[in-house]
Amino acid sequence: MTTLTKSWRQPAPTRKGLAALSPPDPELWESRLSQDRKRATANQSEALLRITRAIEDRSRELGADALVLTGSTARNRRTRVSDLDYHVIGGKPDIDRLPSDIDLYSDEPDAFLAKLFRGDDFAHWTLRYGCILFDDGVLRKALNAAIEHDLWPDAERKLRQARRAIGFSRKLATTGDHAALLEVSRGAFSLTARWWLISHDVFPLARDELAQQLVETDQPGLARALEGTIHRRPSAAEIASRLAEADQLTAS
Amino acid sequence: MRRSRSRVNAYDGLVSPKAKVEIAKEHLAKAQEELNGDHRDAVQWTFASLEAAIDALAAEAGIPIDQQHWKRTDAAKQLHQTGVLPSDLSELHSELNFLRKAIFYDGEDIEEAGFSVEDAVVDVEAVVEIASERAS
Repeated sequence: MTTLTKSWRQPAPTRKGLAALSPPDPELWESRLSQDRKRATANQSEALLRITRAIEDRSRELGADALVLTGSTARNRRTRVSDLDYHVIGGKPDIDRLPSDIDLYSDEPDAFLAKLFRGDDFAHWTLRYGCILFDDGVLRKALNAAIEHDLWPDAERKLRQARRAIGFSRKLATTGDHAALLEVSRGAFSLTARWWLISHDVFPLARDELAQQLVETDQPGLARALEGTIHRRPSAAEIASRLAEADQLTAS
Repeated sequence: MRRSRSRVNAYDGLVSPKAKVEIAKEHLAKAQEELNGDHRDAVQWTFASLEAAIDALAAEAGIPIDQQHWKRTDAAKQLHQTGVLPSDLSELHSELNFLRKAIFYDGEDIEEAGFSVEDAVVDVEAVVEIASERAS
């Protein structure tokens, strides 16, 4: 049995969080992989673990370079509206006939690296806080590049996404489809929150952690709006009013 | 450890299949409008319309949805297998669900994704029509 002397620690969710880490050598990376697998197991129910195992098997069969469990499950912050999120580096496995709402993104290694350099916050999230289930070295290389080049998500890109999502949500707010409005506005508030945090040098964590991060960055109204769509069932009028505020915030 | 709770949805339990059909029709009209405008919004409306139509048909058939997209995908398959729908739209539902999230969260362009929103609208029109006939 190998004893690991170096121990991985997750970066702080700040602009300087990655720079404070040493580029991981094989031993430190092994420590991360070991910790991540334990976290992934601890954060999932038996039913979710069965799905994750199926996705891991299918990814390996396709010869994928890496598979990462991401999102609220990786952060142990699942809520009643959480999906199961994965990021695969390599071919995209089939997720049909798996009993859960699954979000699985796939990128070839070069495309993943390119996303990091152009500030795709989802790729950054995978690298910083995802539970890596396996990695043939592509993610260690990517993390080293992110540290070396001091990469950070692009706030402007997030702002464009937030504006667009708010616009569509406001159209939906007039239709009487409350279930769809709740889901779509939750997405719009999340995008707005992520833009706000990135532009204030804070790395956005899982959706259910964003409200606290927003409060800490002086945005309590947006925090309440987001929390409401996760944990309550606000009326369409209330959601519409919060969307108008988010619209103003992103327009300024 | 937190676990996902059941998504029992009291509010939507109060929305009748007929009301769902009306919502599906309105969303479809917006999707058709956006075929001459923003195709990314057309995808969003097409998906919303298909979901509402499946909800209406599933409620009538006693298929539980619980506000979960994957259950609607399964319901689309079951509705075809039981003869309610002439074709299996589970793949279209699944594809639209992925695409609308990619557009919403990543700003992806649908031309790049190689997807015909016009064809999707035609398929969803047929489902909405069936749901409408059965609700009247």
